[in-house]
Amino acid sequence: MSAVPAKLAASDGRESARRGGRPRKKRGVSGYIFVCAYVLLLFCFGVAPTGYAIYLALSSSGGHFVGFSNFVSTGKDFRFVAAFEHIGEYLSIWLGSLVVFVLGLALMLHSMARRVSSVFRFIFYLPGALAGAASVLVWLFMLDPSVSPLHVLLSAFGLHVLGQTLLPNHLPIVFAVIAFWTGAGGWIVVTYGALNNIPYELLEAAALDGASAWQTALRVKLPLIKKWVVYMLILAFAAGTQLFVEPQLVSEASLGLVSQTWSPNELAYYLAFQNDNFNGAAAVSVDLLIVGLLVAAVLVFRTKLFEVD
Amino acid sequence: MNPLVTGRSRHTHTSRGIRTALAVFAAAGIACASVAVGAAAAAPRTTRSSASPIVVWVDSTRVPMIKAYEKANPTVKIDLVIYNGNANGSGYLQSKIALDNRVGAGWPDIVFSEENNDASSLANAQFHYPAALSKGLVSKSVLNGFAKGTIAGCTIDGTVYCLRNDLAQNVLWYNSALMKKFGYKVPTTWQQYQALGQTVAKQHPGYIIGSANDTWTEEIYLWGSACPMNYVTGPLTVDINLASSKCTRMASLLDSLVKAKSVNDTESVFSSSFDTTYAVTKASPLGHVLMMPGPSWYGADLLVASNIIPKGDIGAADPLAWAGSPAVTGEVGGGLWFMSSHSKNKAAVASMLVWLSTSAGSQGISVGYPAFVADQTSWIAGQQASGDYATQLGPVFATAATEVWPDWGPVPYSTEAVWADTVTPALVGGGTITSQLANYGTQLTDFAQSDGYTVVTKP
Repeated sequence: MSAVPAKLAASDGRESARRGGRPRKKRGVSGYIFVCAYVLLLFCFGVAPTGYAIYLALSSSGGHFVGFSNFVSTGKDFRFVAAFEHIGEYLSIWLGSLVVFVLGLALMLHSMARRVSSVFRFIFYLPGALAGAASVLVWLFMLDPSVSPLHVLLSAFGLHVLGQTLLPNHLPIVFAVIAFWTGAGGWIVVTYGALNNIPYELLEAAALDGASAWQTALRVKLPLIKKWVVYMLILAFAAGTQLFVEPQLVSEASLGLVSQTWSPNELAYYLAFQNDNFNGAAAVSVDLLIVGLLVAAVLVFRTKLFEVD
Repeated sequence: MNPLVTGRSRHTHTSRGIRTALAVFAAAGIACASVAVGAAAAAPRTTRSSASPIVVWVDSTRVPMIKAYEKANPTVKIDLVIYNGNANGSGYLQSKIALDNRVGAGWPDIVFSEENNDASSLANAQFHYPAALSKGLVSKSVLNGFAKGTIAGCTIDGTVYCLRNDLAQNVLWYNSALMKKFGYKVPTTWQQYQALGQTVAKQHPGYIIGSANDTWTEEIYLWGSACPMNYVTGPLTVDINLASSKCTRMASLLDSLVKAKSVNDTESVFSSSFDTTYAVTKASPLGHVLMMPGPSWYGADLLVASNIIPKGDIGAADPLAWAGSPAVTGEVGGGLWFMSSHSKNKAAVASMLVWLSTSAGSQGISVGYPAFVADQTSWIAGQQASGDYATQLGPVFATAATEVWPDWGPVPYSTEAVWADTVTPALVGGGTITSQLANYGTQLTDFAQSDGYTVVTKP
């Protein structure tokens, strides 16, 4: 009993003032240093390229301002709607499974004994340690029935060759499985951390009031970590709309069974590097940015994400 | 010491430090951004001086040719880069050239591409990569030494932009031992081929007479049927008519044989699962491939390399004809050698380019039948000496080279890539080629139009 409040106290930043009486301003300084490095990277690899993309999207290859004509011409491209449909299907599967399984597994871990839970956290997180491209290669083996350790399972679904696994209507599921395997572990750990921030007194009070583990999870824990879930959804949505490595590598490895413009990001890449149309590519990238920002704005305002209790 | 004062003084000192650090970071950031933007906006500049090494990009199959050049010319410095050869319409080469054009540097001096339509994209105004070889870099006598028609795909508006490495004319490969064992005669027409396929399905299930899963399936079968799906009729005008009976007859033929299971439709001939199912094994010493229409390079690169047909039993026959029509055939690849228009030491680079595509030292070790006529006899002799073949390759390859249907023009988009993601998945999913022809035609039309082509449909 005594260990839990001690941990909660340690996790509360306000407690630091009591520790050794170090001046508060010192803490502020180190914060600035950390933020400074982040801001620099954000500027170099986030803000500056975004600004450049917006400039390209609004100009011609000769550098003249052309308004929205790049957006119109790429919007009329015969691959544009299909690419957004593909990514829509993929996102609905990926985000749905992410929320359900991440919350389910994190709640399960939270109710486990600490040692067992830490082992599982490590196991869940492990696939995320592989770089994106490497994890796709792992899955290429897993999904090819001729070499897969899961070939019995694949055969049960009527899949006997790689081409059958990669049929067009299977692709959103295949990419969602790869994304879940590589990305969910990190979110399980984050969500577990969020669950640990719930004051023990609240859970104890719920238990004293006769709440079952199921009721505690649904009515006490979940509402308290709602903002973390929203945060996860915003980032997962943004990352999901930018799907590139998975379809690109799977296409290459399957000798082109997956279209080179399966996702909008691939379409942008194709326009830039196959048609030498950097301005059109920038327009598709800005489309993705706008979609991501709109969804983030809706989620932020609907859930009052930035409001401090 | 007053701790409060000390604290303030330390804080002030630290703040100044942070401001300095921030200033340094900001300056570095601005410099980073300026460099990136500046690089993008920089004017193109030439990449190689005469002292610089020659940068060469080839696929792994062509590496021995480069090594042979290095051995023959030890004073020439070469930077060798192995890439995917732009295979299967991957577009990798275009993406790299687009980036090089963007930053105005980095172009390879010499590039090998497996895609025989690449001149039409790389030489256009967007990429403007290859040097105009016929304008003083390669002599007319060398250009005239290539087999008839082989430089056509390298010629844009009368200027030659590449040299052909090998001919990839399709022939009919067969397993002489199996044919003899089963008592079959090698067919000469597609009708006989189809009838034999039905017989094989009944008499020897599990054996195949062809494969229709690869990205180049359309280049073997539709091109070999004179299907007008790629007929460049004028500058930026292409005839695409998949509804033509010349296309549908071949689609029905393949569909009937796929249904009978005497043509493979689920695995690439280069996949491990294809080897497992059809190649030569201890249990099956003759393999399960009876015939295989395919390019001249199938011999060394597939049938020998993957042990699909036993060594010594590999036969090659003339391309199949439709009864009553003159025989025509197609090509799968046939590599191209390009040199950069941005190279500074053009003479040295051009000399290497000519050596790679014409010399016996290079073409003698090529896996494909040389496009340069003077090298063909010795190349054939080398192949025959290997003992892998049961028949004489020379007459068959020579006949096939003259039968390549010329109305299949190079276009800047990849018909292979479009076939792979439209027709192949349908086939693997249990559909038919016939049902996908219209969809394939629509996709090709969309690609042609997006590349600025006018699409016409001639009956």
